[in-house]
Amino acid sequence: MRRKRTRLFSILALALSAAVLLASCGGQKSGDSHLTLTVLGKRSDLGKTYMTRIFERYETATGNEVKIIDPEDSEYEAEAVRLFQEGKGPDVFMHFHNADLNRFDVAADFRYLNDQAWVDDLTDSARAYCTDSDGNLLGLPFWESSVSGCYYNKTLLDSLGLKAAATQAEFDTLCQALAEIGYTPICWPADGCSWMAQFGLDPIFADDPSTLEKLNDHEIAYADIPAVTDLIQWIADAAGRGWFGDRYLNTGWSDISSTLASGKAVMTFIWDTWFYTDLEEGGKYTVDDFALMPAFLNTAEGGTYEGGNLNMMMVNRNGAQVEAALDFLAFCAQPENYNAAFAGIPTVSCFKGQTTNIQSQMVTDAAASIAAKERVSTAATRIEGYSGDDVAAALNSMFRGETDVKGCVKMMDDSRLSRTENG
Amino acid sequence: MKKRPVKLVAAALICAAAAAVAVIGTVYFRFISQRIYEDSTGHLQEIYGQVNRAFGAFVERNWGLLRDWEDCLARGEDGEAAAFLEEERDYWGFSKFYLLAGDGSCMTLDGDRGTMALEGVREDLARGGRVMAGETQPDGQEVTVFAAPASPGNYRGFAYEAVAVSYTNADLVDSLKVDAFSGKARCFIIGSDGKVLLSTQTGGNVFADYLAYLRAASDLDGAELAALQSDWERGASGLLQCRIGGENCCILYQPVGYQGYILLSAVPQSAVSAGFLSVQHTTIYGLAAIFLLVGTVVVTLLILRSRSQFRRSRTELEYRELMFDVLSNNVDDIFLMLDKERERAEYVSPNIERLLGVPVEEARREIRVMEKCAVDYDVVIPKSELDAIPLGGNMYRECEYMHQTTGERRWYRMTVYRMSIRQVEKFIVVLSDRTLERQMNQKLQEALDAARSANEAKSNFLSNMSHDIRTPMNAIVGFAVLLEKDADRPDRVREHARKITASSRHLLSLINDVLDMSKIESGKTSLNVERFSLPELMEELNIILLPQARAREQSFTVRVEGTPPEYLMGDKLRLNQILINLLSNAIKYTPEGGNIQFLVEELPQSAPQYAKLRFTVRDDGIGMSEEYQKQIFVPFSREINSVTNKIQGTGLGMAITKNLVDLMGGVIQVESAPGQGSTFTVELSFALPEQDAAGEEPRAGAAPGADAGDVMRGRLFLVAEDNELNAEILTELLDMEGARCEVAADGRQALELFQHSEPGHYDMIFMDVQMPVMNGYEAARAIRACDHPEAKTIPIVAMTANTFAEDVKSALDAGMDGHLAKPIDMAAVRETVGRLLGRGEQ
Repeated sequence: MRRKRTRLFSILALALSAAVLLASCGGQKSGDSHLTLTVLGKRSDLGKTYMTRIFERYETATGNEVKIIDPEDSEYEAEAVRLFQEGKGPDVFMHFHNADLNRFDVAADFRYLNDQAWVDDLTDSARAYCTDSDGNLLGLPFWESSVSGCYYNKTLLDSLGLKAAATQAEFDTLCQALAEIGYTPICWPADGCSWMAQFGLDPIFADDPSTLEKLNDHEIAYADIPAVTDLIQWIADAAGRGWFGDRYLNTGWSDISSTLASGKAVMTFIWDTWFYTDLEEGGKYTVDDFALMPAFLNTAEGGTYEGGNLNMMMVNRNGAQVEAALDFLAFCAQPENYNAAFAGIPTVSCFKGQTTNIQSQMVTDAAASIAAKERVSTAATRIEGYSGDDVAAALNSMFRGETDVKGCVKMMDDSRLSRTENG
Repeated sequence: MKKRPVKLVAAALICAAAAAVAVIGTVYFRFISQRIYEDSTGHLQEIYGQVNRAFGAFVERNWGLLRDWEDCLARGEDGEAAAFLEEERDYWGFSKFYLLAGDGSCMTLDGDRGTMALEGVREDLARGGRVMAGETQPDGQEVTVFAAPASPGNYRGFAYEAVAVSYTNADLVDSLKVDAFSGKARCFIIGSDGKVLLSTQTGGNVFADYLAYLRAASDLDGAELAALQSDWERGASGLLQCRIGGENCCILYQPVGYQGYILLSAVPQSAVSAGFLSVQHTTIYGLAAIFLLVGTVVVTLLILRSRSQFRRSRTELEYRELMFDVLSNNVDDIFLMLDKERERAEYVSPNIERLLGVPVEEARREIRVMEKCAVDYDVVIPKSELDAIPLGGNMYRECEYMHQTTGERRWYRMTVYRMSIRQVEKFIVVLSDRTLERQMNQKLQEALDAARSANEAKSNFLSNMSHDIRTPMNAIVGFAVLLEKDADRPDRVREHARKITASSRHLLSLINDVLDMSKIESGKTSLNVERFSLPELMEELNIILLPQARAREQSFTVRVEGTPPEYLMGDKLRLNQILINLLSNAIKYTPEGGNIQFLVEELPQSAPQYAKLRFTVRDDGIGMSEEYQKQIFVPFSREINSVTNKIQGTGLGMAITKNLVDLMGGVIQVESAPGQGSTFTVELSFALPEQDAAGEEPRAGAAPGADAGDVMRGRLFLVAEDNELNAEILTELLDMEGARCEVAADGRQALELFQHSEPGHYDMIFMDVQMPVMNGYEAARAIRACDHPEAKTIPIVAMTANTFAEDVKSALDAGMDGHLAKPIDMAAVRETVGRLLGRGEQ
């Protein structure tokens, strides 16, 4: 469902981009006071509904024109780097939060935004995603977001006389209690679900940035971090105790929906918007039956949530229209504009004044817990050479008995270092 | 066969015993299990009764403490009360002390204000009841609150109507935990509706509603669950069993005694009975071990016994087999045992290799290899024929085998027995060697045939001899009678005397041939090899046979082809005899006017010191039938037809000829057909003399044409002859020749007469051989050895009936100079005297 919808958005974006380009080529008026603002981003990102809405709204309101530069996703980064290096960077550059900017000279290329008026309207979580390690706000978060954690079938759990866990120990107890009576506690398909272990890595590196630094500086490896081994050991034990069911090695992404909707599995590690885009309709259980608790992967006693990944709009410090770009960001940050853009879009709010988006009841109910235990996505975005697929491959090798916990950690390290060395 | 029922009975008894043990064991263990269950659940109830009582005491103590502390609050200053309660908290272990207002608000002694839900029990508290309730604190911590109404008061400005203490659930559950049941017991404090207040669940409580849990996770049905809920609502105790998650569990519940709370323990049955089960299992394992040990000992003993018997049987079997192998190796009988179904040899006696040349292992692998040894494939018995042998029966046949390597043939009597050994049918084949018996029988048969043949030959011989002797004897006797009758008629007397003489000569030749034949056949004939002249031999033959041929008006031609050697080494006398026999027969069986050819030719000879000659005698006479040609060399065989019946013969000539040719290493062949004549060829090899004596004059002999009467006339002979009649005949015959003689009765007298005679007194000595006192040989040697001047020179000639060549040789060896056979042939006497005395005179 999510992929289909993404594809639909991509096609729509392409059409809109083409229309904008045609308009800009044909409708440019010489000597007119209106300007043309260039925005560079991935084609699939710029095609999102809320993006097209805000562009249209901006053009309508200002009479300015937004010129979309949307290379194919695969060519996006190389094209962006080339343009910035040649001094031809766009006015506004859309980038996936604050990670992986090492190919740019951040300080030289982009204008810090701490001084902007809209900063205080940002939610803490959203602001964290857009701030570098020195506290500089790099961009305006403007994206659909979600909260990742352990989503569980509350209806089913209630019927079983059980309740959600508040600690790792309770979670383990819950899993064991479920397994004892024939339920699959956690839906963990081995194929294509690389993010699950990632949730467990977040606390390790988010709670102790020095560990992340040492890892990226190659001073230490995963194997030197006991918590990483604890994480993998817990996953191995969970699989061995039957907490993933007996078919987890032969299931993948597409099986999560049916497994949860049927009630065969009680919990899974996923994000809230998934329930609106992918949960099978017509199943025994719907989104209303689910609730959210922290993800427990033996790396945080109280569990953890992973905050939503966000795209942010950055301003080219060296662009010809820096002020116009700042104005564009300010336009986007106005409540009436972002509420118009995100109206009806299921997402976690990035702005405190955001009201028209659809925020899931699951997230709302767990707001206090989320506020206390949410961590930014650290592993996937900050660990150099990290690949969810590599981690999944190492885990699968362990699941199949080809290696043990130690070997799995080594595989993770080897693949990470390999990717680092290969750029 | 009688053992089978015994075995069946034994097996049945063993099965029955095993079944009885199993039944008794099952009943016993069921009984034990029931007792164990009863004891263990009793144990469970006792333990949790104590836990419940302890928890009740704990609750009761809190009520009491709250009452005391309320008084303290009412009487003391706020600060003093706070300090006191701080000490009490440290002592009793509660987490917080609360002051409760009627609106649900609360305050701690530290002045922290908040609310306390006291869900479901607030009204009870308002009504003056003491309550116990669960609360979740803002930090998420779950606590249990004990609250009791109090006299309205004020603490730090907070008006309260009740007081309460809270304990963290984590602390409280320690009082509910028991060490028994291997840590597998779960204990809960639940409301009468099943809602969980406290749980001893390791790691934290995840149970919210135990009734719902049982509904979802256990095998209890609706009625059972309703009854359970009813019990809880009524505050009743109970114990039930159910399955949760595939495991049997004991659910024990009993009221705490406050607000309908229930103390519920859920323990896996395996844990409840673990201790007892351990005893039970130990008992089971112990008994099983005893049974196993006993069984092992019994089985071991049986196996050892069986092995011992097996070893004994095997040793005995090996001994028997070894003995049988040794036995069979020392006999010429072959033994086989074949499996009827598999058609393969299970036993092959090792002597098969010695007797038939078939390796034992090869025969054991494939018994059909023996078929290769069969001389006649009829000995291979078809399977159908084998199958036809009745069980216990046998069949036999004679067969002949050939040794695979030496080709030696052996005869066997094959006997096949069909037997059953332990229900498995076998063929036991005994090849009994009959070779010696067969060979003996053959020899006996041959001997019998030979004896029959000899007997037949003897009969034939006697018959022939009777006929052939009687025929000339008839003439001699008849003409002797006529001679007497016609004594006065000289012409008739001469005619009768001539016929008597002819018949006598025939009779004599018959006797000579018979004796000669007998000598040859007895193997006593030896050749007297000496140098002789072939031309001379040819001339002598011509002289002898030409007159006979002429007498029958036959042409007799002698031809020599090639250049045969003049002198040869051989027995001239026997060669002469062979050729005369052949030529005489040719003349005899060729009608008058026929042609006789005698051809001598030299054949190629590889060795230079030898000469090979072929003598061919061809005639155009009456010839012979093919049947007769096959037995022409058989003694006394004569073809019977109208012609031969008129021809006189002994039937021994060709047999003697054949034997002489064989004796000389030659070959004789005959080609003939009735009416078309016959051709005899004799091929003989002769050694050549070392020095060719060509040109040497032949030794002096009787000069052909010499006047015999002159030789004999006036001679004086010393005659040693023991037979007076013979002496008289010789005296008369010599007298007829104009000679005289002096007769000695034995050899000694002859010796003495000679020794005492004057030199020149005797011209020659005729010495009989077989004489009394001193035989002729001894006398001759004595004469040669005596000191008479003529001892070495006087001619001594044997005159004896011992006429064989050996006799001639013996005479010469004894120092005699010649040999004359009896009856006395005066022509031969004249020729010998002429040769000996003529030579001496020359």
